[in-house]
Amino acid sequence: MENKQRVKSAFESLMFVFGEPVDVKTAAAACGVDRKEALELFRELVREYDEQQRGIRVREADGRFQFVTYEENYDYIRTVVTPAKERRLSQAALEALAIVAYRQPVTKGDIDAIRGIKSDRVIEGLVAKELICERGRSSAIGRPTLYGTTAKFLTYFDLKDLGELPQLDDEELEEAIRSFGEAQEADAEDDPPALEGQTTLELS
Amino acid sequence: MAYKVRLNMFEGPFDLLVYLIEKAEMNIYDIEIAVITGQYLAHIRRMEENDVVVGSEFMVLAATLIDIKSRMLLPRVTEGEGPAEDPRTDLTQKLVEYVRFKKAAAALEELRETARFKLEKPQEDLLPFTGEPDVFLKMDMEQFVLAFKMFIHRRKKQDELQRMRAHIERERVSLETKIGAIAKLLKAAKDRIVRFSELLAEKADRYDRVVTFIALLDMARSGELLVEQDGPFAEIQVRNH
Repeated sequence: MENKQRVKSAFESLMFVFGEPVDVKTAAAACGVDRKEALELFRELVREYDEQQRGIRVREADGRFQFVTYEENYDYIRTVVTPAKERRLSQAALEALAIVAYRQPVTKGDIDAIRGIKSDRVIEGLVAKELICERGRSSAIGRPTLYGTTAKFLTYFDLKDLGELPQLDDEELEEAIRSFGEAQEADAEDDPPALEGQTTLELS
Repeated sequence: MAYKVRLNMFEGPFDLLVYLIEKAEMNIYDIEIAVITGQYLAHIRRMEENDVVVGSEFMVLAATLIDIKSRMLLPRVTEGEGPAEDPRTDLTQKLVEYVRFKKAAAALEELRETARFKLEKPQEDLLPFTGEPDVFLKMDMEQFVLAFKMFIHRRKKQDELQRMRAHIERERVSLETKIGAIAKLLKAAKDRIVRFSELLAEKADRYDRVVTFIALLDMARSGELLVEQDGPFAEIQVRNH
């Protein structure tokens, strides 16, 4: 194809028609450019849409690109249509998901060990939501299933790739943990932990 | 309809323990085991009082805490060089690991808070783009009428078949009904003895036989009747108990 501008415009049309994230490889083959160049052009598009503060942006996840709305326009969109209310992930699900994301591939046993409690149901739920999937089997006894995150996981949290996961900063963690201890000296007497507030019934 | 009850409780024993340590403003690397064990056990007791089923995992950690507590009281034996191992080390490591992922979970939740406002369009029907051309039939009126007649004909045949099938399918006797029927038969029978063959309908198929037999076994098990057989393959005698 003649020039970059032309290819980029082709990519835009492709994304528009396809709806689902468009694979760089597919787009490159369709427009007769090599993959590296295609990736660069896609990223140029991402930048251009951002710079021009468009209401539609290009999102990259797992080497694929897709049109999404600009997040700050959500309130306007909501006055016209009501996007399906999403059920937030439970604390347990988030914990298990974090373990899978940072430690993948992991077995159910690994997750249970870190959380100190069985995670079967939680894992089932995450698989059903397509945030994690099976990634073969471990060579350990019983050949347990290994889990990893999916492409949907990346779009769900708006990450380009796993390298974009927030850093588990050891120093910060240590500081947070130590701060329990320091506060103790300042305020030695504290009420015993309350239980009442912790048990609330929620019917849904 | 089912109720889903979600208890806003601790996600697991580590979650509870970390909460207690945080609440007591203790250093996780220097847990006052005696204090925290007491609080942990008290909390579990209160969970039980509130009719919360305390998972076995919570009990395992309770046992671990008590074990550490008792080992803390014993003088530590040094093996070779270096300081003696702190009985808390293993637990501390696990807790730190847990806190790490608890933080990571919070970080993910935060990411989702912005990500969820980015809407995408679901993929539409791509058929118009995949190039299946519309099919046009070339036929004259006669052919068209014939095709319609064929359609009606086939439809009639299908209906007929449907009726036949409905006729053939017999209502199946359930185990419960069979048990009731056998009990009734036994009550009416002379000497209260019935032969197995008498229990079967005249044209009993395999299904009837199996249901009858299972019904007998079930009734024999619950002591409603006695079953006797003189030898292998001989007639089964059923007797009221």
